[in-house]
Amino acid sequence: MIKYTLRRLIQAIPTFFGITILSYGLMLAAPGGPVRALTFDPKVTPQERERLAARLGVNDSLPIQYLRWLLGDDWMRWDSDGDGIADRSFLLSLDADGDGEPEPPGTRRGILRGDFGRSFYQKRPVIDIIVERIPATLELGFASLLVALAVGVPIGIVAAVKRGSVFDNFTRVMAVVFNAVPVFWLGIVLILIFGSTLRLLPMGSRCSALAIGGCPPVFERLEYLLLPTLVLATGGIAGYSRYMRASMLDVINQDYIRTAKSKGLSARQVWFRHGARNALIPLATFLGPAITGLLGGAAITETVFSWPGLGRLAVGAVVQQDYPVVMAVVIMTAVATILGFILSDILYALIDPRIRFS
Amino acid sequence: MLNTRRKLLVVAAGLLMVAALVALPVIAQDAPPGPGEGGIIIEGNFGGDPATMNYILYGDTSSGAIIRFIIPGLIGVNPDTADYEKNRADALVTDWTVSEDGKTYTLKLRDDWTWSDGTPITSADSLYTWNAIKSGVVDVGVIGYLVDVIDTVEAPDPTTLVVTFKEADCTAIGNAASLAPVPSHILPADFAELNDADYNMNPTVSGGVFKFAEFRAGEQVSLVANQSYGGAPGAVIPTGYIYKNVPDQNVLVAQFKAGELNVIDNPAVGARADLVANPELNMYSYPGNAWDYLALNYADPTNPQSAYDADGNPIDQGHHPLFGDLRVREAVAKAIDVDAIIQGAVFGEGVRMPAYTIPASWAFNKDLPVIAQDVEAAKALLDEAGFVDHDNNPNTPRVCQGCLYAEEGAPLRFTLYTNEGNARRTAVGTIIQDELKQVGFEVDFQTIDFNTLLDIMDAQTFDAFILGWRQGYPDDPDLTQIFASQSDVVGTGSNNVSYNNPKFDELNLKARTLPGCDPAERAKIYYEIQELMQKDLPYVPLYAINGMYGARKEVQGFDPRPSNWTWNIETWYIKAATP
Repeated sequence: MIKYTLRRLIQAIPTFFGITILSYGLMLAAPGGPVRALTFDPKVTPQERERLAARLGVNDSLPIQYLRWLLGDDWMRWDSDGDGIADRSFLLSLDADGDGEPEPPGTRRGILRGDFGRSFYQKRPVIDIIVERIPATLELGFASLLVALAVGVPIGIVAAVKRGSVFDNFTRVMAVVFNAVPVFWLGIVLILIFGSTLRLLPMGSRCSALAIGGCPPVFERLEYLLLPTLVLATGGIAGYSRYMRASMLDVINQDYIRTAKSKGLSARQVWFRHGARNALIPLATFLGPAITGLLGGAAITETVFSWPGLGRLAVGAVVQQDYPVVMAVVIMTAVATILGFILSDILYALIDPRIRFS
Repeated sequence: MLNTRRKLLVVAAGLLMVAALVALPVIAQDAPPGPGEGGIIIEGNFGGDPATMNYILYGDTSSGAIIRFIIPGLIGVNPDTADYEKNRADALVTDWTVSEDGKTYTLKLRDDWTWSDGTPITSADSLYTWNAIKSGVVDVGVIGYLVDVIDTVEAPDPTTLVVTFKEADCTAIGNAASLAPVPSHILPADFAELNDADYNMNPTVSGGVFKFAEFRAGEQVSLVANQSYGGAPGAVIPTGYIYKNVPDQNVLVAQFKAGELNVIDNPAVGARADLVANPELNMYSYPGNAWDYLALNYADPTNPQSAYDADGNPIDQGHHPLFGDLRVREAVAKAIDVDAIIQGAVFGEGVRMPAYTIPASWAFNKDLPVIAQDVEAAKALLDEAGFVDHDNNPNTPRVCQGCLYAEEGAPLRFTLYTNEGNARRTAVGTIIQDELKQVGFEVDFQTIDFNTLLDIMDAQTFDAFILGWRQGYPDDPDLTQIFASQSDVVGTGSNNVSYNNPKFDELNLKARTLPGCDPAERAKIYYEIQELMQKDLPYVPLYAINGMYGARKEVQGFDPRPSNWTWNIETWYIKAATP
């Protein structure tokens, strides 16, 4: 298994670089740019825009920008005699803006050396911004995943067992409905009902605005988690229930179920001990990417519920063309997805004896 | 008899005592609480986290909303006149003088204002701001342009700041005011380290009405009263202020109505009627400083050129096939019913603009009438311009027959852009498309991604677009960056319609550099500019959107002015609900 895992990880390296090149190229090919987005002000002069573009390095060619992001720029323009002024350069010119003065030495180290850069918009290290958002993202993501599984899986099993019944038909229709309902609409409706009209639940945020020293532990503020979790879980409940039903129906026709029945086992034992356990195996392929995919956040739900997660951050960064933040989220999500699929394959092989590592 | 009177007196005295006991808590409740005991002001923030709390670096609205409370104002602004004023209690500068050549401003600062750690605030703190801007290694925000207008800044003693400008300019005092002090004693001496200073997101030292307490990423920024605030030492009533992220406009309004927020700034226009009718809220509407316009390209969009080359020589920019002809632009202006647009797209929350100065501005020309809709006149202008209705079919556009710049037979057709996701501008565009069709235009109206629109604008490859600007307070009617020919730079200039009129350049420069900067004299020049630009029509002026501030009724002391709704926030308090 170790050999298999290592091989998969090595195979993932070119995939990772492919993703970074594609993402970076797409991002830079997108219209607009951070300079205009940062200086949409009638007072700003053309000269100030040019200075800002030079500072951000966004006028450099795509390969240079990509290399700077990947490997940093402390080797592209540096200070060899320690006087604080750049005197050597490679790939970049010493005096990029042509004002007769050398540009400051490069200070970036690139993502391969653990430097995700500085946000154009938030003007601080990207890694700090990302780390701040991860707890809230995971909190909402795991809560919704748990609810989706806890509700969706049993519904799927019961619907399969009672195939063609009122319950089966009802849950099938509801699955379609919940898949079709826009998240933002459902979120706002729930906020207006439970927050604004009945005033039973808060209308957003992760905890009270008056909480001092950050949010208290999650079990002390479940009321804040309830609505966003429900909204985010609706799609999962619908999906998992349909998937589980199909998987269960597939299992029901297997020989071992007939054997179990003919042995005189109770229906409960047949369905749950032999049927459901085997029907859950394909679900493992979902779980790996689903868990790691949580890192991507849920932009719409987070926006409606003022939830301070990564999804909202990523959408904002795309709108603002904040390249370093966009790329950090892309990389994190890409790595998590790659690892999720590897984990999924390993899990599948571990729990299904018919699959072998090869 | 005496006993009866005595009994009555006793009863009366008893009643008075009871009344006094009942009344006391009411009086106590109505009296302002002590410093720092006034409760917490909670404002909804639609715009996301503040990018920084360092004045030198900030460029976004959210950061500005926090920084206004933790950095002391350098030069005070009278909230009633929205003009700079000497010796205001809420600002450091007590007086200033201007040199004879109008280039050097000498500011005198108070000597009794300290940062919250007790360190005196001096001119050296403003000098630090300037040195950081011109260092070239700092990610400067909105004040980065100052290096283009300021020559030198000196701090000869702790209470004197001398600012010398490159040119005499009537906007100088506003630019000098932008050199706000920062707590230089805790900031790095090496400016290269300022970009990553801990202070940027943890400003432990304050000179404003509040002190920083906590930043919760994606959620809120919390501030607490700063009793060392020089504008009201020991007398800041509110306990604190929270700037809470609520990224959805509908939820923001719902939270305000439910009391999760107690103040609001500029709610969506569609929600305003409901808020105004709510008896639990105090809403304040005012002529706003944001305005929308329809921009028409003068120059050839297929071959965009800057107005001047590197040596300052004019470049031939060609003509837009339609809007290169003034008569076509006039026809557009006359075909549009802006009143209908205000009702249909802005819910009546707008004021018509005759030209490019907001109605709330001191430079607004009240005698200049708005452009009235006149469909027949618009048609006549198009006939005169050589765009004729060749087939008498109202569903087909007019075509060029002897027009100035379009090819013979070319239809009267253009593309109109605005940014997607903005329901107001989408509605404006739809109405304009429909109204222009009535006079023979065919408008391809497209809502596109904002960044794509900015790209097209900067590249100057558009026909027309709808967008808006927001003026600052105090209002500066200077239009140099939007309409002066020197700002017509492909890629970076804001004069992207390539408006190039020497008369405008001359008047604009004159208004900006008038010796003595007498507002009345400057206003006259701006009146003339407005008349000129209403004729030239680089933009078809539409409307200024009304601004609106609001507070829940329990917020006491809320007394907004258009230019500044928190000018007296140090006196605000939350009145406890009467049991």
